[in-house]
Amino acid sequence: MGGTNKSTVEERKKTAWADWGYRLLPVLSILLLILSWHLASSNSPDSFPTIQATWERFLLLWEKPIMRVSYPGHILASLKRVCIALFFSWLIGISFGIIIGWNRKMDAFFGTIFAFIRPIPPIAWIPLITIWFGIDEFPKILIVFIGAVMPVVINTHAGLSSVEQLYLNVGTAFNANRFQMLFEVAIPSALPSIFAGIRTSTSTAWMVVLAAEMLGAKSGVGFLVVRGMDGLDMPLVLVAMITIGVIGALLAAVTNFMERRLCPWMSIR
Amino acid sequence: MERKIRNKDPLGRGLGCHPYVYTMLSIAGILTFLFVWQLLLVTGVVSDRYISKPTELFLLLIRKFSDKSPDGSTLPIATLASLKVAVTGLVLAIVTGVPLGLIMGWYKGADRFFSPIFEVLRPIPPISWIPLTIVWLGIGLRAKAFIIFFAAFIPCVINSYAGIKMTQKVLINVAKTCGASNFTIFYKVGIPSAMPMTFAGIRVALGNAWSTLVAAEMLAANAGLGYMILMGRSFARPDIIMLGMVCIGALGALFTGILGIFEKRITGWRR
Amino acid sequence: MDEHKVRLEISELSKSYETKEGRFQAVEKIDLKVYDNEFLVLLGPGNCGKTVLLNMIAGLEQPTSGEIRLDGSVIQGSDRRIGMVFQKLALMPWKTVMQNTEIGPKFRGVKKEERRKKAQSYIDLVGLNGFEKAYPAQLSGGMKQRVGIARAYTNDPEILLMDEPFGALDAQTRFVMEQEVQRIWEQEKRTIIFVTNNIEEACFLGDRIVLFSECPARMKEIYVNDLKRPRDVISQEFLKLRAMISDNTDLAL
Repeated sequence: MGGTNKSTVEERKKTAWADWGYRLLPVLSILLLILSWHLASSNSPDSFPTIQATWERFLLLWEKPIMRVSYPGHILASLKRVCIALFFSWLIGISFGIIIGWNRKMDAFFGTIFAFIRPIPPIAWIPLITIWFGIDEFPKILIVFIGAVMPVVINTHAGLSSVEQLYLNVGTAFNANRFQMLFEVAIPSALPSIFAGIRTSTSTAWMVVLAAEMLGAKSGVGFLVVRGMDGLDMPLVLVAMITIGVIGALLAAVTNFMERRLCPWMSIR
Repeated sequence: MERKIRNKDPLGRGLGCHPYVYTMLSIAGILTFLFVWQLLLVTGVVSDRYISKPTELFLLLIRKFSDKSPDGSTLPIATLASLKVAVTGLVLAIVTGVPLGLIMGWYKGADRFFSPIFEVLRPIPPISWIPLTIVWLGIGLRAKAFIIFFAAFIPCVINSYAGIKMTQKVLINVAKTCGASNFTIFYKVGIPSAMPMTFAGIRVALGNAWSTLVAAEMLAANAGLGYMILMGRSFARPDIIMLGMVCIGALGALFTGILGIFEKRITGWRR
Repeated sequence: MDEHKVRLEISELSKSYETKEGRFQAVEKIDLKVYDNEFLVLLGPGNCGKTVLLNMIAGLEQPTSGEIRLDGSVIQGSDRRIGMVFQKLALMPWKTVMQNTEIGPKFRGVKKEERRKKAQSYIDLVGLNGFEKAYPAQLSGGMKQRVGIARAYTNDPEILLMDEPFGALDAQTRFVMEQEVQRIWEQEKRTIIFVTNNIEEACFLGDRIVLFSECPARMKEIYVNDLKRPRDVISQEFLKLRAMISDNTDLAL
């Protein structure tokens, strides 16, 4: 008896140590990341700005606008493009996805056309669209729209074409008409899939807006990156990159929040 | 599925037709698309300064096999240049990303150590690395391959991580009661059951790599399909742009298809 | 109870599927009369044609030949007078208990206030008062099936089909649910057609028990069970009936 007791005490001690180790590891890894940044930048400060230089550039950016647009102004410019494009891509993407996901004939006809256009990466559309519409706001929004609509259509289509027969049977047994079957049974059951598409579209949109701004714009965070590159202002590039990362993470968080609010049953476990 | 179809399409789902009806509809869809496109140009509704005819594109495709203008390389050479970059980056990403994801998913220590770094770097889109990469590595193969690597690495890690985390507890317990060591279980149980998710990740990685490639070649290159598109824009040649887009799209679809065949081979037990 | 008023009449009903290996006969020439307000149990081994038979009565599948008459007239497709409790817990995960229960009247276009009142009374009847706003994922297996029963009753069916409703429950919960179904049936008389592969369940619940053969499903025998309710599952008569049916049952693997 005593022996077993002792060993459990020892084991507990051991796991307590392991716990501490596990708690320390993340701190250690972040420290390592910062340290490697520091080392890399102190070796060649021209190509990789130091932490301090980046921080100072960040503070300067708040005071001194670039191209007469303030730092928050650039962020808002990008966000505006993304939001408008996302709104339309969700509206159109979900509707189109429902049509081709629910009706097999529609899928055969329109789905095939879509399948042929789909493999073209959104960024590859940029030159053609700039030839068509110049480099105004509209073409940028259009490019982001093209990027964001694809995952929405794909996921909505997948969700609707694989509605469980069981739910459809329930609908039939309770005499649902076509309309009720689609809106009360099929679409809700496809919501998890539709939301997966929405999540992907948000991150794609953020990436594409960046590319569109890098290839020709006068505002936006992507413009800041290119501006930094052209002016050999590497700290600015880094500030822009970090901004992009933070905003991207925030967008993802907002999408998750929206999903939890709109589909409460999905997070019950 | 098919047994439920008897009732003549009460839900308006367009089901229950003979398979060839759907094939015909698919073909009709594509033909209509091409026809409308051609018609818009022939009738002059859309000017050919903005877009070129499908027939012209086809002729250009043949001509471009030997013609170097206007971007300085023939189509096969541009394709090869792009492929080299994409394959280098993608293979590197798979070779490093998948094992890292698997290890992170299985060993708690590795998870705690790598996850934070990963969470910090993940939200930064690979495209925004381009300027830094140019400064570090120039605009050669290495620079572009690095950016592609970055784009493909993340889905590889995420999916293999998630895949191995979903290993069924029962299977692990079976292996444990048979006296297998942790590493053996990882190797014999964890990895195989993570394979379907891993492949899904590789598929995403492939798509990311291919679309980032275009961006990389537009911002920093002197050959490749992305560069060809960019030159098409500089010379205001919509036909060159569209040919580039078609080639990129077709190659992307081709790779996805090949990957699908591989996937079936390796995860065939899943049915 | 007028035992001999026929409500549902099934004649020469067959169902076969075309598969790659040829024709598969699931149900073969069933002739069956279902009386008003009786508790009819369809008992058979394994997963043979019983579910298919039930699906045909519910209008979820079309018979290959034969017909089903309700009160003398042939029915086709799903009929509002026939309700169904599904085998798997076919609750819609995106609807709350209340929303799941009121689905029948809702699809018919009944006003919200009215259908809520009705649904509430059946939620109370199955003992789920207080869980109206819960999602199915928050309920236990037995509670989910109670919702399934409340949902079927709320649609006011004259004939209620139950397709192995308790197959997925553990033995304890199952027995409680059997008693519940009996209680509800005695309180709200309906004609019930109950499919099961459990002999004890059949003997406990059924007025009549129809024994089916292995694939294709054919009728072997009809047992009339007039033991007094609630039945004592360890009484001599009960065990005798149970042994009789059990000896006559095909083994299924």
